[in-house]
Amino acid sequence: MGSVVEINPLTRVEGHGSVKVYREGSRVERVDLCLTESPRLFEALLIGKSYAEVPEIICRICSLCSTVHKVTALLAVEDAFQVEVSEVTALTRELMVQGGQIQDHALHLYCLLLPDLLGVRGVGELALKAPELLKTGLAMRKAGNMIQETVGGRIIHPVNIIPGGLGRRIGKEQLLLLRSELEAILPSCKEAFRLFRTPFPFPELPKPHCMALAPSAAVPAARRLVFCDGHSFPVSDYRDEICEEVIPHSHAKRARVLGADPTVGALARLTLQPCPAAGADEMLRSAREEIIGKDIRGNNVAQAIELWQAVARALELIDRLVELGAKGGGNVKILPRRGRGSAACEAPRGVLIHSYDFDQEGICTGADVITPTSLNQGALARDLLALGRGMDAEDDLRLTTAMERLVRCYDPCISCSVHLLRL
Amino acid sequence: MTRPKLAIAGLTACSGCQLTLLNCEDQLVDVARLFDLVYFPMGESGSDPDAVFDAAIVEGAVSTPADVELLFGLRNASHLLVAFGTCALWGGVAAMNNKVSGRDELVRQVYGDSGRIESFPPSPMGNFVSIDFAITGCPPEKHDLLALLAAVLAGTLPPLQSYPVCTECRSRENLCLLLEKGELCLGPIIQGGCNARCPATGIVCEGCRGPVREANVAQELELLLERGFDRKEIERRMSRFTPEWDYGKRR
Repeated sequence: MGSVVEINPLTRVEGHGSVKVYREGSRVERVDLCLTESPRLFEALLIGKSYAEVPEIICRICSLCSTVHKVTALLAVEDAFQVEVSEVTALTRELMVQGGQIQDHALHLYCLLLPDLLGVRGVGELALKAPELLKTGLAMRKAGNMIQETVGGRIIHPVNIIPGGLGRRIGKEQLLLLRSELEAILPSCKEAFRLFRTPFPFPELPKPHCMALAPSAAVPAARRLVFCDGHSFPVSDYRDEICEEVIPHSHAKRARVLGADPTVGALARLTLQPCPAAGADEMLRSAREEIIGKDIRGNNVAQAIELWQAVARALELIDRLVELGAKGGGNVKILPRRGRGSAACEAPRGVLIHSYDFDQEGICTGADVITPTSLNQGALARDLLALGRGMDAEDDLRLTTAMERLVRCYDPCISCSVHLLRL
Repeated sequence: MTRPKLAIAGLTACSGCQLTLLNCEDQLVDVARLFDLVYFPMGESGSDPDAVFDAAIVEGAVSTPADVELLFGLRNASHLLVAFGTCALWGGVAAMNNKVSGRDELVRQVYGDSGRIESFPPSPMGNFVSIDFAITGCPPEKHDLLALLAAVLAGTLPPLQSYPVCTECRSRENLCLLLEKGELCLGPIIQGGCNARCPATGIVCEGCRGPVREANVAQELELLLERGFDRKEIERRMSRFTPEWDYGKRR
C-alpha cells in the first residue's frame, strides 16, 4: 500500500522548503523537493530602477549572502558600463566576499549542521549541551561579521560598496584590528576541519557534475565557468549554456547546464580550483579521498577547509590594503549607456550569476539572477531519490532524518524563487 | 523559573531578521539558556504543533495563503506578537511596486505564463492581525532585538523610539548629504535608531527603517524637488521599503 511521508518544514536551512517521500510498501517511489519560499519577484521589481538602485535592492534577495549578491550586482553594472574600479575598491570588495564565506561556513557548520553530529535539536540545545563548541563556531562567525561591520558598514545588506567605488576607505588601524581578529581564529579553523570530517551515515550517492568559476588573479568575478569533464564557457555566454527548464504540470524551473544537473559550492570549488593557501593544501591532501571525485557527502569537510582558506586569503588582502597606504584608491564616475552586463562570483554556496540590461539613461530594462541553490536544485533532488532508494528497508523516521541531513550537506539557501521539482 | 517560550519565524522575507538573532554571537548562548526556543525552524528541528508561546517574533511581509495561515497560527498561540523588521512592519522590498504594477503581471514576468503561484501584493502583518510590538530595520539592529528579549524576560516591553535618522546623524557630526552635498537622502523622514550607519559611511539614507512618526513628508518632498530631483525618482526611492506614503499637501 502506498504512503506519503512529509518533511515540512525543512529545518536548520535558510528559507522555506519541504520534502515529500512517496513509498509503495517499503520502496521509495518518488521524492518531491518543494522549495516553497514565498516569491518576491526581484527580477520584475528591478525593471525601471536605476543602475545605482539595483545593487541596493537585489542584495535583499538573501541575508546570508547579501554581500556577494551586492558585489556581483555591482560587477554586472560595471560590466555593462565598462567601468574599471581602483585596486583598493577591488581588494575591499574581495575582502568582504571572503568575510561572507567565513560567516556562512561558520554558521552552517556550527549552528545548523553540528546539532546533527551531536544528536540535538538545534542551537538551543547546543547552547546547553555543548556551549564551548558552539562558542568556538560563533567566534569564527564573529570574525566574519566584523569584516562586514567594519568594511561593509553593516553585518547584513552592506552599505559601503557602490557602483564605481566605495563610500569610505577603510583605515589602517581598523584593518590591523581585523587582522588580529582573523589570526585569532586560525586555530579554530583547524579544529573545524577535524570535527567536520565525521563520516555521514548514508549510502553512496551519484557522482556530482561539478561546476565552478575558473581561478582568476583579480576580483572574484572570474571570467569562465569550468566543469569537471573539461568543458568551460565564458560567463557572458551563460544564457546559451544554462537553461531553466519548465517541467509540465508543475512549477518546476530547473537550471541545467550542458544537459546535466550541476553541483556548485565548496566541494566543486576544491575539485576545480587549485587550493593556494598554505595550510589549506595540507588539509586537502589529507582529506582528498573524501572530497575529490566524491559525492556531496564531502561538501561539509570541504567547507571546513574553505574556512581556513577564506581566513588566509582575507589576511593577504588586508596586508595588501595596508601596504597600499593612501595609494591605489579613488572612485570612478559612472557614465550610463545602453547595454548588458553580466558577472559571476563564487558565493559561499557556489556560482552566482547576475545579468542586467540598461537603457541609455542607466534604467534597468531586464534582470536575471541565477542563484547557487537553483543550480544545485536538480542535483539535490536526484540525490534525495538515490538516498531514498538506497535506504528502502529503513523506517520513515530514519529515512527522513537521513534526508534532512543530506539537504544540509548542500547548505541550501532557499532564496526568492519558488521551484517545485518532481522526480 | 520557567523559561519564556519563543517562536521565531519568517514569512515573505530574506531570513535576515532571524539571522540577526544568530548574529548576536556574544549573547546567543545566554539567550538559548534563558529562553525556550520552541519553534524556530531556521535553527531548531522538531517542534510541537500544539505549542503555545510567550512571544512570537515574526519577520516578513504577508503575500501567500501559507503566510496567512502561519501568521494566524502564531497569533493564536502566542501571548505577544512582535513584527520583526521592515517587511513585517511596512511591507519592505517585496512590496515596493505595490502601487505601480499588478501582482499577476510581476508573477508572469518571472515565472512565465505557466506559473501558477498563489500570491497577492505583499502587505504588512498589521493588516491581518494585531501586533503588540515592532522592531524595524532592514536588517534590524541587534540591540533592538536584545532589548526586546530583555524586556520579555522582565515581563514588559521596551520603550518606543520616535526620532529621525538625522538626530543621530547630526550628533555624529556627519557631513549632511542632503543639505551640503545635495544628494537624495531620506534621513529626515526615516525612523532613527541605527546610529545613522549609512550617512556615516558617506552613503545616503535609503529609508530601510520606514517612516518616523509625524514625518514631514511634504517638506522632504519639497526639499528634494527644489534640489532638482525628479518626482518619479523620489517616489521610487521612497517606496523601496514602504509603498504607502502620505505626501500631504504635495499630493
